[in-house]
Parts: sequence; structure tokens; C-alpha cells
Amino acid sequence: MILNHSLVAADAFEKHLINRKRKVAWGKKAAAFALMLTSMVDMFSMLVVFLLQTFSSSPEILITKGVSLPNSMTPSIVKEAPVLAISKDGNLYLDQVLVGETKNVARRPEKLLKKLNKIKSAWAESHAGQPFPGEINMQADRDVSSTVVSQIMGILTGGQFQSIQLAVVGNR
Amino acid sequence: MSKKIGLGKKKELNAELNLTPFIDLLSTCVCFLLVTAVWIEIGSVEIKQSHGTEAAASKKISYDLDVVFRSPTAIRLNLKRNGKKVKAVDVKSNTFEEALANLETNLTSKILSYKNKAIEVASATVTPRTGVNYGDLVSTLDVLRKNKIVNIGIISSRSR
Repeated sequence: MILNHSLVAADAFEKHLINRKRKVAWGKKAAAFALMLTSMVDMFSMLVVFLLQTFSSSPEILITKGVSLPNSMTPSIVKEAPVLAISKDGNLYLDQVLVGETKNVARRPEKLLKKLNKIKSAWAESHAGQPFPGEINMQADRDVSSTVVSQIMGILTGGQFQSIQLAVVGNR
Repeated sequence: MSKKIGLGKKKELNAELNLTPFIDLLSTCVCFLLVTAVWIEIGSVEIKQSHGTEAAASKKISYDLDVVFRSPTAIRLNLKRNGKKVKAVDVKSNTFEEALANLETNLTSKILSYKNKAIEVASATVTPRTGVNYGDLVSTLDVLRKNKIVNIGIISSRSR
């Protein structure tokens, strides 16, 4: 007997047969899904364990565009502080905002010092009665000349930012 | 828990675990952890650019180290006791990688065991030079930090 698959156009017996066929087919599919669930749960559990192991709650800083940080074998935890970045193309950024060309800033550091003073006074307002820690994060491209970096460090020291954290990529 | 027909009042031993809430929880966990995952571990190397150290003021004998780049492959180490130079070591190589390896060897054999006695270096200053890039400078700082010299300063061009 050839079954009509439309329940609308079928008589009572045909409807019964169609329903029985559908139930049998659904039962087979359900068994297959149960098997896939097991492997899915396994995969999820492994993912959760891996991600929990690599989870880090230490503060993070944004890497400025155009800066490839050097690697280090002995990195410490990053502290939350303003970020000064020297990119490979010779620009200097303070908290992702362009200050100017590094060589120009090294020659005439007034603009940078003004911005640093603003940060310092904002810190003093929010931390009344506490001594200024002078912490700053410094990001520089690994190919930038070390003398350029030291020149900028000199400016930072002059602006009372004496604890400089050089941002590096952990290579443990 | 369902009862099997024909077993009377005995309960079935096989319990079925409801997987739906379990999968829900796992998917939420996976999503949260993926979003908050840190793929590049950023660390920091601390530099203290202070003028006049507390170590110099104390009466205890303290050793300081000057690491001077003469070229990207030549480094001079000056060991100072209470501000006076007591030993100088030249590290020369063909490549920077070799120079770094030699620096580490010289540091442990000639500086940190000065006159066959283990000494502690209170602070170190690094003098950079044109031609030495920032990545190489950080690698040099790494060598110092590996040998427990953590109070490091970099001589800036403005203050020279």
C-alpha cells in the first residue's frame, strides 16, 4: 500500500499508519542526537577547563596600533597607569591620543609635559593627601632606537614620572 | 523517577541525568570565558629613574653595576663599590645573541662572585647607544633581572 504523506487527504487508517511511521523515524533520530550530546558535553567541559586555566584577572592595557612589543622572560604584572607609546612610524601617543612626532617631542617636550601635568593634577584631586607614585606604562616598538626611548624616559623623569613600567610580551 | 512495569514497588536504579541545564551552564561558561580570555599576556619590566638612591646614603657596603653599550655587540660592565669603580669587564661578540650569552656568563662568574665571594648588586644603570634597538635593551634588562638585579635605571640622553 502506498501511503499518502498528507494527513489532510487521508482516511483514519492511513492517518494511523502515517503517524506510526513518523514516530518510528523520530525515535531513530532521537537516539542519534543523544549520542552527539555526549561528545558535545565532553567538548564543552574540556573547553571550560582550558579557559578557566588560562583565565587571568590581572589588569590589562591596550596595545597601541603600530607597536610590536619586545619579548621578556621576566615580566611582572602590569599596573594601571597612563600609557605612553612610541610607534615604529615615529609617533608618540599618550593614552591612545597622538602627541606628535617623537623627535619633535624630544626636542620640545612642553606639550607632553603639559599633558602629564594634567594627569598628575587629576590624580592629586582624586587621591587627596597621598604622595604621587609617578607610575607610567611605556610601550615602544622593539625596532625603535634605545636612545630615543631613553630620551623620552628623561622627559618622564623630569615630569615626576619616575617609576616607568616597560610593557613587554610575556614569554614564560 | 519512573517505575518499570512488573517490578512492583522497587525503584529503577538507573537515573537519567537531565542534560539540558548542564549544557546551558556550560555554554554560558564557555561564552563568558571566551569573551574575557587574554590571548597575549602583557607584562612589565619596572625601571626606577630616581636621582640619588637610598642605598648610597646607608653605611653598608653596596655594589652598583654600570652596563654600558659601546656597540650592539660590545658591552662594558663596571662594578662599583660605594660609588668607586672596582672592576671592569668587557663583553664582545659577533652577534647580539652571543653578546647576551656572554653577558650572562660574565655576570655570574666575574661580577656576582667578585673576589670569589658572592655579592649582591643593589642597583644597575644601563647606558643605551644609537644602533642598539629597544628590543635588545629589554633583552639586556632581562639578563640582569634573571640574576636578581631588579633595581634598574636607564641613563637618559637628556641627563647625560
